Amino acid sequence: MDIFGSFALLLALGAAVYAFGAGIAGIVTRQPLLTKTARNAGMTVFGLVTLAVASLEYFFFTDNFSLAYVSAHSNHALPGFYKFAALWAGQEGSLLFWTWLLSIYAFWALFLNRKKHPELMPYVGVTLAGVQIFFLTLNNFVTNPFRVLGAADASGAMHVARLSDGSGLNPLLQYYEMVIHPPILYLGYTGFTVPFAFAMAALLGRYPGEKWIHITRRWTMVAWCFQTVGILLGAHWAYAVLGWGGYWAWDPVENAALLPWITGTAFLHSVMMQEKRGMMKVWNVWLVFVTFMLCILGTSLTRTGVVSSVHAFAESSIGGWFFTFLGIILLVCLAAWFKNRDYLRSDNQLDSLVSRESSFLFNNLILLAACFAVLWGTLFPVLSEAVTGAKISVGPPFFNKVNVPIALFLLFLTGVGPLLAWRKTSADALRRNFAWPLLGGVVAGAVAFAFGFREFYPLICLILSVFVTLTILAEFYRGARVIASRDSTNILTAIGELTMRNTRRYGGYVVHFGMVLIFIGISGSAFNRDIQKEMNIGDTISIGPYTILCQNFDQPSTDVYTSDRATLEVLRNNKSEMLLYPEHRVYLASQVPETEVAIESTPLRDLYVVYAGRSPETGRPVIHAYLNPLVKWIWFGGIVVVLGTGLALFPNRSAALVLRPASERAWGESVAPQTAPASSPIRRSEGHD
Amino acid sequence: MISRLRGRGTAWAVLAAFSALVVAASLAPLARAQQTERAKRLGGRMMCMCGCNQILTACNHVGCTTSHTMLKELDDRIARGDSDEVILQSFIQDYGQTVLVDPPKTGFTGLVWVVPIVAPLLALWLLWELVRRWRQRAILTPAGGAPGIPSDLIDRARREADRDADE
Repeated sequence: MDIFGSFALLLALGAAVYAFGAGIAGIVTRQPLLTKTARNAGMTVFGLVTLAVASLEYFFFTDNFSLAYVSAHSNHALPGFYKFAALWAGQEGSLLFWTWLLSIYAFWALFLNRKKHPELMPYVGVTLAGVQIFFLTLNNFVTNPFRVLGAADASGAMHVARLSDGSGLNPLLQYYEMVIHPPILYLGYTGFTVPFAFAMAALLGRYPGEKWIHITRRWTMVAWCFQTVGILLGAHWAYAVLGWGGYWAWDPVENAALLPWITGTAFLHSVMMQEKRGMMKVWNVWLVFVTFMLCILGTSLTRTGVVSSVHAFAESSIGGWFFTFLGIILLVCLAAWFKNRDYLRSDNQLDSLVSRESSFLFNNLILLAACFAVLWGTLFPVLSEAVTGAKISVGPPFFNKVNVPIALFLLFLTGVGPLLAWRKTSADALRRNFAWPLLGGVVAGAVAFAFGFREFYPLICLILSVFVTLTILAEFYRGARVIASRDSTNILTAIGELTMRNTRRYGGYVVHFGMVLIFIGISGSAFNRDIQKEMNIGDTISIGPYTILCQNFDQPSTDVYTSDRATLEVLRNNKSEMLLYPEHRVYLASQVPETEVAIESTPLRDLYVVYAGRSPETGRPVIHAYLNPLVKWIWFGGIVVVLGTGLALFPNRSAALVLRPASERAWGESVAPQTAPASSPIRRSEGHD
Repeated sequence: MISRLRGRGTAWAVLAAFSALVVAASLAPLARAQQTERAKRLGGRMMCMCGCNQILTACNHVGCTTSHTMLKELDDRIARGDSDEVILQSFIQDYGQTVLVDPPKTGFTGLVWVVPIVAPLLALWLLWELVRRWRQRAILTPAGGAPGIPSDLIDRARREADRDADE
């Protein structure tokens, strides 16, 4: 069976090489047959890699410990659920998984467009095949997951060795979120390959207009949504499993996932300028290129040991491969852009600084600044060591100091952008659209200040969050009011009608609202409290409104682990509220310890209790309790972001134009972003963003 | 004979119990409760050196013995009455500059602080220049607009392309 999997991988590499070579030959000779066979070969890669993945899963489920990868990441006692997830628990399997997800995307992109865009698709196929060749080369020759264990007999001849049991899965990964977090994050990373391939194709093929953007819009949104969910699931896993009381530590691996998310977000906004006004063409192409390169960089950071991280796979020698690949991508992107830069000239110029276009420009600038700051802080220790020879650390305070003001400015733009009209916004429209939301924000800030809420950044965050929420509500209300009065329906029905008529725009607003919730949740971290204490039975610790009474310590054990466990009663106003059972486990197969955090989560605050261990001096258990306000808002905000993205992916219910006399007042200009000339007899009111 | 066997059995039982205790103790996690707010504050300015990339006081990286040793040293130095500066310097001597959460603001490492401020300002200036040029060009465009395809036709083409993509 191992030969079967290896052979499937080798054939997949052959198919990818053929798709690449025949694709280029088809483009050069314009032979449709070559192009068609190249496309079919590209789609075949998916089938072959699927066979390889199925083969490796078969080894996991049949406990075949003659395979080095299976014996390192599984054992007999491992539940089937985790045996499935063990596929991506190590370097070799996770790279195979990466290749498989990429092949799924590539298959769908080629299949769905097999009868469309004949000038574009050959280039897309070649680009996708090029990326697949790189990963399949790694799978076949550098990190092959089908390596068997060997042992020499007395004569020195090598034989396949089979262990009686494996080492088991890393206990930190034995958590339900770990089964879904890596696949979802990888779906984000790999998903950006499709827009990259289309952007490259449009540039190389000098494909006219913005069609590549229209084609890839949904692909980009899907990849972005997966990246968002992947990041949030990772944060939740860190919070619930690692037991250090937080969800984001600015670890290089976390940052690596954040970087393409930031540039992807910038791209999703800036494409609207190209769609509406034919502007920012160079910028958009480079945003996609950079996003894809950051995906590859992110994938490499976890695997090469360039930066130290608790999340990273073991250091390996594949760094050279990744950095060579990144260099090749950069060179190809530069060459493609340089050769075809004339094609990327803007159709229009910026008419006014107070316009939707300028808000997108600022939005992109700020997002890129955030991306640069995170990348700079992540890689600076490497740079510093190379230049000065001395190691330094760039810890969370650096990232917080630099990124918090940037993020708040972004939040401000989230509120401002949708209120500005395309081309130019009049002073009257500015007053009309901004007055109430701004007043609402300021009043909320004043009330909070009066109640003793004095932390600067959280206060600003609160003001901006209220401002942005009110602008979003106003946008829905203005549009719905017009529909309600015209169709004589109630406002809620009208909101539904309005949303389904322009899902992209109103789905986007829902995403913005989700981001507001996430910001509020993050701002709660300014008020985190914690207390650590050695405890005996009967001892108490107080934190916030809670008193924690230690009732018992015991050592429950199972076949899989031994444990030190505390039984803690949580009291509030002298009334018993709940029992918490924080644990410290040691897994028997791997002898790896793990913390089981006890969390009582409410919308207002999380009580987060960790059994931190035993004091070496006294031998008494140490309990670490945290009070983390508003954390739940982050997870809830993530759900809203996903719902908003899902909504934006829906096709519009109808593309009907609403025509009415110019004398009728517009929906506050921002509802009808295409401002028509004053002399125009009718105003087109169907927005598109 | 029986009593000797009993005695030997008891000895084995004691030895087994002792071994179990030793094993349990070796597997039990070590943890320190920070004694003072000052220790917490100073611990927050240092990294745990076990490679987990976490702040010293936040590190309960499972099985980490480094943070325990560092926190004990920190508590001891505070108890001895050392100043903040002396304590931090002693840690730098032991572990190097990498023990500090914030890199020094002087010399080459100062760049880590300067560049994220200068780069966006530079980008902002470039953006400003770009916008200025665009607006200048817009002013120089003839009053009748640029020759070529009328904008309403371009808008229509874009709408059609939208619809095409939605399908």
